[in-house]
Amino acid sequence: MVILITASSLQWFYLHNRNINPEVLFVQDYDQSETYHRKVSQGIRDTINQIVYDIEKILPEPEYLYYVSDGEKAYYNASLSHILDHEKYLYKYVDQSWEYGEHTYNNIQYYFDENLSLYLTFTEEYMEQKQQEWEDEKTQLLPIVISIFTSITVAILLIIYLILVTGRKPEDDEVHLTPYMDMMYSDIQLGIMIFPLMISYSEYNMVRNYGNSHSSNVLGMDQILVIILSAFTTIISTIILGVILLSLVRKIKAKRLIKHSLVYAIFSGISKFIRSFFDDSRFEHFPLTKSLDRRQLIFTSASGVMVFTSFIFLLSTRSLFIGMIPVFIEAIIIYWYFNENRKTFKEINQGFQASLQEQMKSERMKVDLITNVSHDLKTPLTSIISYVDLLSKEDLPESAKDYVNILADKSGRLKNIVSDLFDLAKSTSGSLPLDMKHLDLKKLIQQTLGDMEDEIEKSGISIKESLSATPVYIYSDGKKLYRVFQNIIGNALKYSMQGTRIFIDMKIDNNIVEVTIKNTASYPMDFTAEEILQRFTRGDEARTSEGSGLGLSIAESFTWASGGRFQVEIDGDQFKVILKFPVNGVELVSGPE
Amino acid sequence: MVNERILVVDDDREIAGAIEKLLIMEGYEVIKAYNGMEALDVLISNVVHLIILDIMMPRLDGLSTMMKIRDSKNIPIILLSAKSEDSDKILGLSMGADDYITKPFNPQELVARVRSQLRRYLQLGDKDCANSTSKHVVGGLCLDSDKAELTVDGDPVKLTAKEFKILEFLIKNAGCVFSAEQIYERVWQETAYSVENTVMVHIRRIREKIEINPKEPKYLKVVWGIGYKIENIY
Repeated sequence: MVILITASSLQWFYLHNRNINPEVLFVQDYDQSETYHRKVSQGIRDTINQIVYDIEKILPEPEYLYYVSDGEKAYYNASLSHILDHEKYLYKYVDQSWEYGEHTYNNIQYYFDENLSLYLTFTEEYMEQKQQEWEDEKTQLLPIVISIFTSITVAILLIIYLILVTGRKPEDDEVHLTPYMDMMYSDIQLGIMIFPLMISYSEYNMVRNYGNSHSSNVLGMDQILVIILSAFTTIISTIILGVILLSLVRKIKAKRLIKHSLVYAIFSGISKFIRSFFDDSRFEHFPLTKSLDRRQLIFTSASGVMVFTSFIFLLSTRSLFIGMIPVFIEAIIIYWYFNENRKTFKEINQGFQASLQEQMKSERMKVDLITNVSHDLKTPLTSIISYVDLLSKEDLPESAKDYVNILADKSGRLKNIVSDLFDLAKSTSGSLPLDMKHLDLKKLIQQTLGDMEDEIEKSGISIKESLSATPVYIYSDGKKLYRVFQNIIGNALKYSMQGTRIFIDMKIDNNIVEVTIKNTASYPMDFTAEEILQRFTRGDEARTSEGSGLGLSIAESFTWASGGRFQVEIDGDQFKVILKFPVNGVELVSGPE
Repeated sequence: MVNERILVVDDDREIAGAIEKLLIMEGYEVIKAYNGMEALDVLISNVVHLIILDIMMPRLDGLSTMMKIRDSKNIPIILLSAKSEDSDKILGLSMGADDYITKPFNPQELVARVRSQLRRYLQLGDKDCANSTSKHVVGGLCLDSDKAELTVDGDPVKLTAKEFKILEFLIKNAGCVFSAEQIYERVWQETAYSVENTVMVHIRRIREKIEINPKEPKYLKVVWGIGYKIENIY
């Protein structure tokens, strides 16, 4: 399609360069053609001008024979009789009226002064020659015109075909937009189209100028260059235009032409922006702030309107008084705005205070509850333990002594459970007082292991630790962490299979230190990680051994409270506890606490 | 020798009764009171050598009572409470108590603490411990650097050479925290390398010897993740 269009435009240029008169196609005879008639008119004008303005000579040399006179003088390039001989093509103007020869086919509409008379004619030879030329040109022109015509027709057909086909793939009925090309905004595309059109237009002009100044059968070198140049530009323009046109067509097919334009984008952007001012849905649940937002909107728009009307009034009426009316109204609006806002602010503050009070009250109630219940449980427990102790010092029969031992044992356990319970309650309610410090986690673990040495020896399980070589500083509560590790390691010692080892590993990755305590269970673990962390769940379903079932929960809760993360993983017989803490590279300084 | 008299103040009659019996069995005389006002009344007309005081009581709570007592008397006061937070202990001790026991308590431990407090209070021989510069006192601990001797509430305690050096170092700098490495280098005079375990074991042994309840030490404390210290007690 591109080629065809280029070819047709080339031919057209060629034609133009040759300055062939397109009229040759339509009019059979020269003497009936417009070209000829124009020449005649021009000749008439020139000759009349010569007599009226006293022009020496008509340039260029006229092809016709003429005799013009105003009664006093005359200009001519042939004798009157000679002219009258060629009456076939004679144009005679005498006494303000025209007379025509046989082969003249037009009426002249010029009228001149009464004293002017004009005789104008063409020789037969001249006319025959012209007719020959006319027919020659026709033979030359006709094929070219036909080919231009066909090229253009085929090109148009192709364009139509492309338009119909573009964007559709054989697989489906959908319109497919080409990436990249179709992503450009429509109006930008239209803008781009202007360039090729402009270029084509200037080309056309250039060629025209060239064509008008030359008129020969052979094309000069420079003309050829121009034609080649214009060929290139035509190709490029056509390609650009074609591609963009198709893109636009695709968009039209996909009904996205307007939506995809820059104008639309800007416009919708602006309208969204403006709409956002009016959107108070984010304050849906907050009536006070919602009314603040609305009031703000009303105020600004009302003020804007006031300013505007104020201008209008001032400009149109030039009366200060009238112009002041909006200002006055504005003052009222401002007063209203501030007043209402103050009220709302006050309400907001009150609400805030009230909710703060509520929260503090509920916190205090929580703490009070824990303290009171704690006291109420611990008091009778204290009595029990004290009297059991006194009993044990009495002189009792053997069986009674056994009973007393059991009582002492169980009341001791009860004491542990109650203590754990309150630690857990305080920890999860957030009312656990924390003593956060920068400490060395590695050191802490080693200290704990040292502290538990007796227990470790008694259990017969060995612990293999591979902690970091250098200190690992974290920010946490040392006492709580000690409890966490004591609990985990204690559990591991209690529930590990004889002959296996407990592994304590430390890993630092991405500024997080991860401590893993791994052991092999001495009984099948028929629970999941979540289950064992539940309060009061114990691995030992029979609940015969020591322990309250709260240990892991407390460990988890204390870990979280001290800034760490606690995770349990169960893999067959392997029980793993993973603790994570953010590493805090602060150097410790020992000294007075 | 005056029979040591102890005042037990608790609003729960059963607990007060149980403590009374416990102390009588140890050979002490006991007076009971059930609230702060009664306690103050008793003190007006009786000589008392030690007070066991419950905190949560009606009419006048333990801490206020203690403040009133401290206005005029210096006798040892052991606070008894179900409140077990560190902050509660610190508060009680800073307000003038000599010791703090949480309920429920181990009766034997209570007895041991009573004995310890009375020893310090009544033992006149204690005085010369404070006087010489080679002797360092922290609470009931009296360490004599020259003679390499340690007494706890007047009773001599046998320590190994290393144990003594460790305790001496920490007592001389009571209140300061030292890492295991620092203690090791000071006491063993060698470069410390992986000594956490060694030092901890020694600390434990010292604790067993000097503390009434090694699990809840009063003097020799572990600052977890950092090191060890001797608590600075007046």
